[in-house]
Amino acid sequence: MTSADVRGADPGDGRVSTPGTGRARPWPDAAPALPPLAPDRGLPTPDWSEVVEHFREGLIVCDADGVVRHLSPVAERLVPEVVAGEVLAAAGVPALLATDPGEFTHHGRRLRLRQVPLSAARRCWYVEDVTESVSRADALLAERARSAFLAVVGEKLGNPLHPDRAAAAVVRLAVPTVADVAVLVLAPRSGRARWWRAVRADDEAPALDSGMLAAAALPSAIEEGLGGTEPHALDWVVEQAVEAGWLPGVDAAGATARVVPLPGRETPAGVLLVARRDGRWYDEADLDLVRAFAARAGAALTTAVLYRDQAEVADTLQASLLPVEPAAAAGVQWGTAYRPAQAGLRIGGDFYGSHRLVDGGSVFFLGDVSGKGVEAAVFTGQLRQCLHALHRVESQPGRLLKLLNDALLETTQAHGQGRFATMVLGVVRPHRDGSLTLTMAGGGHLPPLVLRASSEVEVVPLSGMLIGVVPDPRIGEVTVHLAPGETCLLYSDGVTEARGGLRGDEQFGAERLLHAVTGCHRMPAPALAERIEQVTCDWLGHGDHDDIAVLALRATGPGRPGRHLHAVHGPTGADRPRETTP
Amino acid sequence: MTATTTEADPARAFPGYLEFLAEADEHGAVEVAVGLLESGVPAERVLLDLVAPAQAEVGERWARDEWSVAQEHAATHISERVVAAVAAYADPRPTRGRIVVACMDGEWHALPARLVAEVLRLRGWQVTFLGASVPAAHLVSYLHRYDAHAVALACALPMRLPHAHRMIEACRRSDVPVVVGGRGFGDDGRWARVLGVAWAPDAPTAADLLADERALRAMPPARLDHLADDEYASLTKRRGELIDSALADLRERVPGVRDYTPAQLDSTVSDLGYIVDFLAAALYVDDETLFGEFVEWLVAILVSRRVPASAVGLTLDHYGQRLRDFPRAGRFLDRARALVSGLSDAPRR
Repeated sequence: MTSADVRGADPGDGRVSTPGTGRARPWPDAAPALPPLAPDRGLPTPDWSEVVEHFREGLIVCDADGVVRHLSPVAERLVPEVVAGEVLAAAGVPALLATDPGEFTHHGRRLRLRQVPLSAARRCWYVEDVTESVSRADALLAERARSAFLAVVGEKLGNPLHPDRAAAAVVRLAVPTVADVAVLVLAPRSGRARWWRAVRADDEAPALDSGMLAAAALPSAIEEGLGGTEPHALDWVVEQAVEAGWLPGVDAAGATARVVPLPGRETPAGVLLVARRDGRWYDEADLDLVRAFAARAGAALTTAVLYRDQAEVADTLQASLLPVEPAAAAGVQWGTAYRPAQAGLRIGGDFYGSHRLVDGGSVFFLGDVSGKGVEAAVFTGQLRQCLHALHRVESQPGRLLKLLNDALLETTQAHGQGRFATMVLGVVRPHRDGSLTLTMAGGGHLPPLVLRASSEVEVVPLSGMLIGVVPDPRIGEVTVHLAPGETCLLYSDGVTEARGGLRGDEQFGAERLLHAVTGCHRMPAPALAERIEQVTCDWLGHGDHDDIAVLALRATGPGRPGRHLHAVHGPTGADRPRETTP
Repeated sequence: MTATTTEADPARAFPGYLEFLAEADEHGAVEVAVGLLESGVPAERVLLDLVAPAQAEVGERWARDEWSVAQEHAATHISERVVAAVAAYADPRPTRGRIVVACMDGEWHALPARLVAEVLRLRGWQVTFLGASVPAAHLVSYLHRYDAHAVALACALPMRLPHAHRMIEACRRSDVPVVVGGRGFGDDGRWARVLGVAWAPDAPTAADLLADERALRAMPPARLDHLADDEYASLTKRRGELIDSALADLRERVPGVRDYTPAQLDSTVSDLGYIVDFLAAALYVDDETLFGEFVEWLVAILVSRRVPASAVGLTLDHYGQRLRDFPRAGRFLDRARALVSGLSDAPRR
């Protein structure tokens, strides 16, 4: 940060206020009216000319014919054209002849004029030099505008944005306050430099475009800026930029431009080229503002890039920890719902999935590990990987769950984590008539529900102990037969223990779940899973919740083979960058 | 099930298609849609002239209590599958920027938003559909992660307008323009104007609006000065207490309520909550018609389920007494009360 930056900056304690909020108004609206002036009774007859000489205002007194009768030295200095003894009009100063003179500029000074009628049709002009106070007020207003501008910039660039959008925001914000055309060139990566440009349009919103350029094609002034120095050969900057076609609608002859580096972590994050069409020079105050702006822009871009890099890592890791949708299996329609406790994280301690077996059946599971958030998600990852490997050697649910228990016990003891899981693990096998046989093993998890074709809802009696706590746990086993159109439903305690209702502290409970699925026996499995997610979230209102997971299996019956339908495409990679010139 | 629905006209295919929805027959419904596509009907027309009106009819049937919630859900699921099939059939190549389409947190009516997403995709946008009930945190982290030209937010219930406003602001803080749609913003989009956000009545209009970035960014500011009276904030704080006392009041004055099953009690509590939430939303955008329209709708729904309109009237009276020092809310409640009296005096069908 430069000293100018500090000067322009909002100290953050609210002392630099935007104009108009006026806490200490210099001119109170309701100032008491002063009594009218009484005639000067000046007792010791003063030597008027001597007194008048020291007035800050100059005096010009004319007689009824408009001939100048008196001219004070101050007036003589400010309006030398006026000569005593001659007609005022002869001076050729239009402001002196106007009926309502006010302020005017004369010989480079700002003069304030007022006219007062005297006795005998004489008139007096008071001339005051207000150059300094006006420029002080202008400077104050400009300073206020600058801090207001920087405050807006700080606010708009303050969020960790996507790098591209941060770059677009930088050029958009630069126009029109600091430039008619602003071009941002990012530091080149592998020989290419990306750029963004905003051009002042007639209405409010500037026109934006962007592209990519070979680093070798960058004008030398830009290269210099990327090296961290502000180029000093200023007329060159405009010429180079106009020649390179960077400044549409700008004529090299009348325009001014500057190049300012945007501070990055070590080397500049990029450079900002600002240009004005009308030839208004960038003075020191303007440059201070551009630099302060560049400092904020540089910080925003650096943050955005940092965020992107870390988010990329996080996304990759998250993706590996997200539940994988069950693999398509003959005769089974799967339905799933998943809503982690921390919405921004999108992963949690609930998990589900399936693996196909060589004999045409599938292993399926749904469970919940102790804890929440990233650590719980990592543990679900370990658990799913264990299962992935173990189902190849053992496909009998009870024995598979015991194997899993031993494997987890070993891992948790080795890491001293003390984590455990509850889960239902089953094997589903289809029959020729479209029915399904489900053999399920229970590891301390909530009992599955079965929606019968008769609209009855059964609670499957499945008990068992937690997985990953003791060696050789007691594991319950049960076999369920699903006729075509019947559904088995697995869910995590995030559903039944959702707290909501009237005061937000009542558990959703098994009764409400039973009620919610009653009458849903004809629903497709995905619709059923979504319905459970919906009623649970409705119950929660906007309150906090635990991870929620639902897995439904429906016997599709012997009907037509399932047509594979594509879901909506997910986000794909970024568009292929194009090589363009601004 | 046979190929009788191949006439290349969505309107003619409509009755048959609706049958398949009623039977939750995914394959039948998909065949009707794909049949239209194969005979040359543009994908956009299949979505907007077949899927959309059929879904509207599904909603109507639920409102008239002809279909259960389960049937409605199943039909909606089939519609989703049809949309997916139409999208897969058309498979447009993206040539424009990314648009993120999402439903408000708590908003489960995803199909209208999904249709908008597909229409945008057909028009060359690269569309990411985040689905139903997207938490604001999820949306914002998505926007930080992927550059988006704009966000399209759907809101079907005006009750969620205050929440929608916070979500819109969150997108704007990320410097992404927002366009909104859905009945939640009023049938003419008037509550979108109050919130100072671009609004589109249908998918084609949304597509046109999104193509005009300047129009998207040049929105007049929100007109929410009325929030200074704090009625909205105070009302939301007193939500639980209001529902509690309204329930006690109903128990005392309507004898049947005492014998309600737990499930009936739950739905009564949520209806009492909706009344408070819609009143709060009406205060938020300062429009009594928001509350009035809701009360009319609620009475229609309850009457079709054999709950008398006068029960709603009792609760409105009760809230009115409780909210004596809320002049705006009091005015809204009075108007709604008058509406309910009009409805219950009307002769039965």
